[in-house]
Amino acid sequence: MLYFFLIRALLGAILSSVSLALFSPFVTLRRVSYLGEALSHIAFAGIAIAFVLGLHTQAVTLVFVMAVALAIGRLSQKYKLEEANTITIFLSVSMALGIILISLRKVYTFDLASYLFGNVLMVSTSDLIVLGVLCLLSLGFIIFFFKELFYLSYNFEMAGFYRVPVSLVNHLFLAMLAANIVINLKAAGIILVSAQLILPASTAFNLSRKLPSMIAVSAIVAAVAAVGGFAMSWWLDLPTGAAIVVLEFILFLISLLLRPKQ
Amino acid sequence: MIRIEDLNYYIAGNPILEDIQLEITDQEFVAIIGPNGAGKSTLIKLILGLLPLQDGKIWIDDIPHLEWLSAHPMGYLPQREEYDRRFPANALDIVMLGLAAETKLGRSFTSQQRERGIEAMHTTGCIDQAFKPIGGLSGGEMQRVLLARAIVGGSKYLILDEPESSVDQPGVQDFFALLKELNMQGRTIITVSHDLHTVSAYCNFIVCLNRRLHCHNQAEMVNAELIQKTFGKAVRLIDKGY
Ligand SMILES: Nc1ncnc2c1ncn2[C@@H]1O[C@H](COP(=O)(O)OP(=O)(O)OP(=O)(O)O)[C@@H](O)[C@H]1O
Ligand SMILES: [Mg+2]
Repeated sequence: MLYFFLIRALLGAILSSVSLALFSPFVTLRRVSYLGEALSHIAFAGIAIAFVLGLHTQAVTLVFVMAVALAIGRLSQKYKLEEANTITIFLSVSMALGIILISLRKVYTFDLASYLFGNVLMVSTSDLIVLGVLCLLSLGFIIFFFKELFYLSYNFEMAGFYRVPVSLVNHLFLAMLAANIVINLKAAGIILVSAQLILPASTAFNLSRKLPSMIAVSAIVAAVAAVGGFAMSWWLDLPTGAAIVVLEFILFLISLLLRPKQ
Repeated sequence: MIRIEDLNYYIAGNPILEDIQLEITDQEFVAIIGPNGAGKSTLIKLILGLLPLQDGKIWIDDIPHLEWLSAHPMGYLPQREEYDRRFPANALDIVMLGLAAETKLGRSFTSQQRERGIEAMHTTGCIDQAFKPIGGLSGGEMQRVLLARAIVGGSKYLILDEPESSVDQPGVQDFFALLKELNMQGRTIITVSHDLHTVSAYCNFIVCLNRRLHCHNQAEMVNAELIQKTFGKAVRLIDKGY
């Protein structure tokens, strides 16, 4: 029983880290790492809405974050807003909204810490299946739209000029990213999700020069950190998500040393 | 043929382009000259569909320009291409973007297409850079890579915005000689330029723009007076060997 429980949590940690890592090269290259951070915070308002209305947390949050992600994409494209500013506004307003909503519910049964930091030990079998499907979908999305994502990340305007369907692919990208963030909240938490969207790619950038191998290295780094972090948390009795992020950071530092000299 | 009729363009209520009428016939080599802020980039971005038309009409081969653009390749070399030097692409990858329009969503490029990319890089003289990461290219090398991207799709029009800006002086002559060659092969070329000497040597049609069109005439007929009229004060730069 304990064995089953452990394996399930370990698989949860690996799938969670890897699915985020698959997106991290694009998030980093497109310089939208703050978007990952913002969406994970925006999820907080979604969680609060579900909590107040007594609805299914993940479903409500997923719809809410996807809607906001698409709205951000829309708004900044249409009004040529500085994306970073739009996003920061959405981020803080969502947090404020979430806190207000939760405070309206007088009985305080809300476990804030578990949403901030997540807990892989809470991952159920059905969560694991969802994570697995998400991982496959993410991988399929990246492989199928590789050419489009590549040029979109290189230069959005020129890709659009040469008739890459940038708007369609960008919206799909935002929707997939939102899904990744929301589904990973349970395992990784609001704060650690954004770390896992940046660190694996930063490491991969130091080790690789081609985008496909960067994506592969990101995923491997994330899987290694997940296994290592899980083991560390088991033996040293540390919170798993935090251990994974710390390990990813250590791998990043090592990659800095291994980076080929320019 | 590109025909511009009654074109006006405003930004925040300020006129940027006023009452532009222009016809560019096939196989011409056109230069658009004018001082900084004259609206040159704005005009070509309007032709390319990169800015929305506010007032007036643009026809390409007698078809509304957006309709034409959605069905045909168009070559464009921007004034400044924004890119991250650490972006993990080699020069050929960037050239291949010029074939994205003819490649289905989700498909990668075929080896025949890559051959065409290589061939375009041969033509523009940057084949040695094909497999180098873009971060390692000089400004002039990148310019030739971007020119290869502009021609690889086989567009009959080639629109360039100050292509000489990051090229040294002998490089500029080579670059325009190359453009001339592409022009002789049947492409219509429209280039924005500040290099009057070079332009008058290679182009057969010069358009002087300073918010309005001041002249558009055969190159030989553009005289100092007309240039003076367009550039106003800026013309003194020419006297100083500009
Ligand atoms: N996004 C913008 N917002 C406000 N004004 C703009 C914008 N883009 C262009 N302009 C204005 O439009 C005018 C024309 O700009 P444009 O870039 O077309 O000039 P240009 O002739 O290409 O100049 P240069 O030789 O410096 O490239 C300029 O006065 C510029 O200030
Ligand atoms: Mg310009």
